[in-house]
Amino acid sequence: MLSDSPKETVLNLEKVIFGFFVILACTLNAGFFIGEIDVVYAHNATELFAALIVNIVVVILKIGDRTQIGALQMATSLAATLQLILSCLVWLWHVQISGQPMDAPTMATIVSLAGGALLANVISVVLLIGETLRNTR
Amino acid sequence: MGEPFFLILRRLRRPLLAVIGTIAISILGLANIPGIGADGNPATLGYFHAFYIMSFTATTIGLGEVPYAFSEAQRLWIIFSIYISVIAWAYALGVVFHMTRDPAFRMALARSHFAARVRRQTEPFILVIGYGQSGMVLARMLDRIGYNSVVVDPHPERVARIETQEYQRMPLFVAGDGRWPEVLVDAGVTHPQCQTMVVLAGDDDTAQAVAIGGSALNPNLRIITRARSEMAVTNLESFHGIEIVNPYETFAFNLGQDFSAPEKIRVREWLTGLPGAKRPDVLKLPAGHWVICGFGRFGHYIAQALARAGATWTAIDNNPAFSPEPSLLQKSYSQETLSEAGIEQAVGIVACTDRDAINLTAVRSARALNPDLFVAVRQMHASNASLVEATQADLRFIQAEITSHEVRQLITSPLLNRFLLALRADTGDLAQRASNQLEATVQDRVPFLWVFSCMAAYPGLREAFEYDPENSLRLGDLLVHPHDPSRSLQATALMLVRNDGEILLPESYLRLQSSDRILFAGAKGIEALQKRHYLTPSPLPLIRTGVEPPRSWVFKKLEAWRMAKR
Repeated sequence: MLSDSPKETVLNLEKVIFGFFVILACTLNAGFFIGEIDVVYAHNATELFAALIVNIVVVILKIGDRTQIGALQMATSLAATLQLILSCLVWLWHVQISGQPMDAPTMATIVSLAGGALLANVISVVLLIGETLRNTR
Repeated sequence: MGEPFFLILRRLRRPLLAVIGTIAISILGLANIPGIGADGNPATLGYFHAFYIMSFTATTIGLGEVPYAFSEAQRLWIIFSIYISVIAWAYALGVVFHMTRDPAFRMALARSHFAARVRRQTEPFILVIGYGQSGMVLARMLDRIGYNSVVVDPHPERVARIETQEYQRMPLFVAGDGRWPEVLVDAGVTHPQCQTMVVLAGDDDTAQAVAIGGSALNPNLRIITRARSEMAVTNLESFHGIEIVNPYETFAFNLGQDFSAPEKIRVREWLTGLPGAKRPDVLKLPAGHWVICGFGRFGHYIAQALARAGATWTAIDNNPAFSPEPSLLQKSYSQETLSEAGIEQAVGIVACTDRDAINLTAVRSARALNPDLFVAVRQMHASNASLVEATQADLRFIQAEITSHEVRQLITSPLLNRFLLALRADTGDLAQRASNQLEATVQDRVPFLWVFSCMAAYPGLREAFEYDPENSLRLGDLLVHPHDPSRSLQATALMLVRNDGEILLPESYLRLQSSDRILFAGAKGIEALQKRHYLTPSPLPLIRTGVEPPRSWVFKKLEAWRMAKR
């Protein structure tokens, strides 16, 4: 009605990249979390590190978004990042500063913190799905 | 609680005194009469045991002689006690049972129960005063479109019908006279959730009293009243905030417009039909001579409308109380009278006496004399619907339906009503233009109607109205598909209300302002798409450019960098 020329909806790069990082954060976090909670070899340090980095990226990607749902997404990612940082700090303290080998109780603490982060990441994915559905009903 | 509780206490005063008195005498005696204790020595029972024994004896339960066998003197006293206390109990119970059957008491109980339920209402409701035919049709219609209602009617048997009728949300109801302020207050006239009071009382005097009472109790309440006599209409019009529905006038006016401004009535019928259904056909009333059977208030309105439309008429009414008029035959509704009224040359007959049987007979006699007549017939009672239908009249006037239709419109779409009033007053080609727009939008269907409010409180609109008012929303932006800007929405704007002024059929380049309200007509489901503008992120940039703008800092920078590189 108003359009002077037909407008084509183009693939939105922001949505693709953001969606990718949110889901990757969730999957990495889940990968680290899975396994008996106090079995040391079931939880990979690199996976935890990757989950933390991807979560930080998600937070950065959401900075500046003034919409309500964008703000909420940033808040959940912030919560997940905080949990993951705490879990990394516990690991660091035990192995590097106390200088002891990793044991079952410490691993249980680390994994339970990562579990909390996983919950926040799941909420983030749900929000992403919600926003997508709202736009393409 | 409250009134019925005190009523019970008042009625039970004497029986309670009788019971307490007899039991007190019995206990006093039993406690002090000498008996024989467990060890064989003389002993009295004492007050506790005496009370225990009297409790089961007076109520005819009778557990026997506890804690040990009585003496002869005690037995004698017990015999005396049984007789006096059983009589007192029987008397008290009789009063209680009698009271629960008492209509006055039951009514008080129902009233207080009703008032308490109304007070606890947490959802918006509509108060309907009068549950006659119109009230019933209205309440059921409101129920179907999802409104709660509260019903008041002076006839208990009428409101009792509610319980046996099918409702999704059962209206709260009470039998009471709406002219009494306390009845109105109980029914929620001052309740914060009461949206509107609709007065459909049987006669105009009562309706006036109720409407004026309601507006005195709650001056901010919206009140819609049915009034049919000119006096009542004039009286009520002087009250601010009371809206009047006059089914006679509406029907007669529509009839008149069918002659003089068919396009207006066409648009009106089109907008007020059942959404999604096929557009109602236009009547195409024949011009010429009309015969009106029944010259009461309704007949008068019809006659005026016909005269205004340039048609001639002759009325027949056998009521000798009417003052003679040149075109009024004060005779019976016989074939001779119909001939005298010129039925052979007439184009139509309006049978509108207040008796269904007479209307049906008049239509039959008239058809025998002139089979090509256009027949309009009035239906008084819903129970006669099939009889009236059997006449196969071209037009039926059913007061309850017209009234409830009008009231529903006022309640659900006040803006539509405003548009229709503007249409009525219009002297230009508004009807023709509206008709063209509707034709282009919904073809031959009745459109769905909704209101889009430009409230800056909606997060999606805040951006448009506060951050960038220069470049704010245009009306046309609301007519573009919010997810796919290449498509336009199947809707058209009928009216824009801004600061109490109205713009009819606004153009799409119009810039909207905060607190504008727009009446839209369109296909089903378009409303939900349009309301996408209320949410964030606003679809506005997408609609204007076809591209969703970057939302976060990183991507804004990236976008700027890509633009610069290009």
